[in-house]
Amino acid sequence: MLAFIIRRCIFLIFVLIGISLLIFCILMTFSPERRAAAYVQSPQQAQNIPGIIKQYGLNQSFYVQYKHWTSQTLSGNFGWSLVAAQPVWDAFCQYFPITFELNLYAVPLTLLIGIYLGTLSGIHRGSAIDHFTRIIAIIGWSLPTFLFALILLMVFYGYLGWFGTGIISDDFQLYLLNHTDEFIRYTGLYTIDGILNFNGAIFLDALKRLVLPVATQVFVVVALLMRITRSSMIEELSKDYITTARAKGADNKTVYYKHARKNALIPTITVSGQLVALSMEGSVAVEIVFNRHGMGWWLVSSATQLDMPVLMFMCMFMGFVFVVSNLVCDLLIAWLDPRIRLSTI
Amino acid sequence: MKQIVGIIGICLLLMISATEGQSKANHQDRFVFASYGNIQTLDPCMSYDSTSNQRILNIYEPLIFFDGSSVDQYIPVIAEKVPSLENGGISSDGLTYIFEIRKGIRFHEGEILTPEDVAYSFKRNMIADPEGGPVWMLLEPLVGQTSTRDNNGQLIAGIWNKIDKSISVYQNKVIFHLVRPYPPFLSILCSSVGAILNKQWAISKGCWNGNIKESKKFNNPRMGREPLQKIANGTGAYRMISWEVSKEFIFERNEHYWGKKPAIRIAIFKYVKEWSTRKMMLQNGDADRVSVDSMHIPEVLSMKGLSFYKVPQLSVSGALFCQQIKKIGNPYIGSGKLDGRGIPPNFFSDVYVRKAFLHAFDRNMYRRDVLNNMAIVPTSPNIEGLPYHINVPYYEYDPQKIVENLKKAWDGKAWKLGFHMTIVYNTGNEMREAAAMMIAENLMALNRNIQIEVQNVDWKDYLVNYRNYMYPFFLIGWSADYADPHNFIYNFMHSQGILGKYIRYHDSTIDGLCEKGIQVIKPSERRVIYDKLQHAWYENAIGILLYQQVNFRAYREDLNGFVLNPIFDDAWEDLKTLYRR
Repeated sequence: MLAFIIRRCIFLIFVLIGISLLIFCILMTFSPERRAAAYVQSPQQAQNIPGIIKQYGLNQSFYVQYKHWTSQTLSGNFGWSLVAAQPVWDAFCQYFPITFELNLYAVPLTLLIGIYLGTLSGIHRGSAIDHFTRIIAIIGWSLPTFLFALILLMVFYGYLGWFGTGIISDDFQLYLLNHTDEFIRYTGLYTIDGILNFNGAIFLDALKRLVLPVATQVFVVVALLMRITRSSMIEELSKDYITTARAKGADNKTVYYKHARKNALIPTITVSGQLVALSMEGSVAVEIVFNRHGMGWWLVSSATQLDMPVLMFMCMFMGFVFVVSNLVCDLLIAWLDPRIRLSTI
Repeated sequence: MKQIVGIIGICLLLMISATEGQSKANHQDRFVFASYGNIQTLDPCMSYDSTSNQRILNIYEPLIFFDGSSVDQYIPVIAEKVPSLENGGISSDGLTYIFEIRKGIRFHEGEILTPEDVAYSFKRNMIADPEGGPVWMLLEPLVGQTSTRDNNGQLIAGIWNKIDKSISVYQNKVIFHLVRPYPPFLSILCSSVGAILNKQWAISKGCWNGNIKESKKFNNPRMGREPLQKIANGTGAYRMISWEVSKEFIFERNEHYWGKKPAIRIAIFKYVKEWSTRKMMLQNGDADRVSVDSMHIPEVLSMKGLSFYKVPQLSVSGALFCQQIKKIGNPYIGSGKLDGRGIPPNFFSDVYVRKAFLHAFDRNMYRRDVLNNMAIVPTSPNIEGLPYHINVPYYEYDPQKIVENLKKAWDGKAWKLGFHMTIVYNTGNEMREAAAMMIAENLMALNRNIQIEVQNVDWKDYLVNYRNYMYPFFLIGWSADYADPHNFIYNFMHSQGILGKYIRYHDSTIDGLCEKGIQVIKPSERRVIYDKLQHAWYENAIGILLYQQVNFRAYREDLNGFVLNPIFDDAWEDLKTLYRR
């Protein structure tokens, strides 16, 4: 297993080099003027485009610019984010916990609900529960995230006033600013820090503001997982070893949950790995509607404003996340299914 | 699973009940504003957007400031009084401005403000002069250059000495020595580039060290490397207690402020990009004011508990004719000839073509149907709210006159053969799109040989292309740097103006008047010059002015004391004047 992990880590280095070269090549297809325009907001500032090109070396050759970027990145300087008005790494440290906190609740719930409902509908194929999950899946899959998020916001915040927007209420935000020594930010996640500081009020307030974004995220993503688990369950239940298990007198619970579901989870794990990895880049719709700007907002804003250092960083980061999530998935699959050996992956 | 659902349900109930009503607590000394404006910097030498200026001008203070909603009357702030010709603060030749500095003012960190701090602040900004920053506004009147560097990025010889000599301190006075009369100078001092820093504090944070011989190493900092990007220490009524980009900016009242104690203790400026979220924040009482775009005004007008205001802005959008565009590789001019399949590169150099296009713009319909009567359609670049503004004649929508002018244009060929071209606007600007569509359709409806396409282009490409003379007819906006007709008229009409040079229109009389307008200081003389220039805009059919933005503001009903000044846009809020009834 160790050799497998080391092999994947070496592979990761080549993946990151490949990604950086590819993205840099794509970004260099924009003219220096076009890239300099990222620093400009008005016709007044546009006067300075030639100066900006010169100052930032945007007209230098590909080789020189790539070498500069590489040397800076290796020394830990990922550049300046125009969108976030701070160094890229600082911005990452600000936005990642926001996205991570959302995923911390959304991902387990998605997996739990997706696998549970998928298994149920697979077992009770053609029954009411199967039709119900199918409807949920169709709605979740076809309804735009933005629209669903807005509906939730209008009903539960606008009309009922139950849940708030943002990450934490103004009162608590001011309290935290004035009591930095009383509330220690261990993780940057308000709910977790609330628990670690034994501050139930902050924990509940932060959690309250997570309900609608998590609900949106879960509803939209759960459909895919549900359908994959369902078809996988149906396939497994039709196999010979299930008939053998029944012939040996195994009850339904054992057949469904011990034998069939364990094997049915293999494709689900592969897809879950991709979903978890994708969730790390955030959901722009959820973040904008519920006003919790994290990785999704940062990435989309950077892409529209051609914020090059951020785009480079995010591509590298996502490359890293995907390689790691694939590695974890492979390890999990090997653990679930003894027939699969890591050396063959 | 049932147990899990049960636990989640209990948690939800607990959450709702535990924090219920907290957000609606009545905070008499708090002000919350939700907007989509984000800020880049708190450094006065770099800040060139209205949102950053709002933050800076509530933390730092300038020598003087606009008096209420006036753009040409001032009140003293750091200065004891506003200099004028009458009180001898401005010399009769308009070259010397003397400011007596108020005593006993303290910075947030406790130091006393001195005249040296004032002189240092201006010199430091001029020495820094970052690329794309606002410092040209100081350099032009004080040094006679718009940058410390030439077109090749090399430092201009002797520039440091000129900067050093431009401001001097005598006893309790700070004296500005202008290289030429510059009537908008007082207006410039009211902007964030005129914010007063604490010299010792600024030096300790990495700003210019006060030695003029070592200025070079403090010149042109890269974006993000300006020393005061995220820190501030001013004399203003508020200090910053928190700034998280794309989240919020929090002000706290300066309890030791030298002036009248402000009523609002905490002001929170939230970044909320989505309109529906902002709207619900306003509706639920979580915000006292939100940014409202013109298309959403009807939704807000129906809300209760709010008061509404309209503020004409010193900001204008126009459609300009480029009179000599690039021919090679230009996809916007068809064949590049007047053969019915394109236009020649100098198509708009013919005044009759320009007049035909001007007559194709239906101002009344545009104001009613597109602007919802929420904006002004100006008659010249010297828009309402600026000094010396007058209403000049304009071209009415008139199909007959369109035909008449086109028949005269290019010896009748423009009408006989027709033409094919593209009007371009920047993506997402619906008002400009509507204007482009209106003009194109009104022209095409008269002659089937006229083919005009309307195309949108991403803002950054748009910016690059119009600067490369690719667009025969393009739509662009301009916002005031300072409240003076020079900032508008010169940039629209002078052949070297920021927009003027991209329309390649050259008239030596107009150029001369534009230059003279900034050289004389007597208001009566300036009025005559700007009257002529405003009429020249009409007579020479230089461009179409589409709309002057009117800012719509919705405040919570109990809030009062806000100052509505046309120089400031939606991002502006002078916190120290706000109070609740």
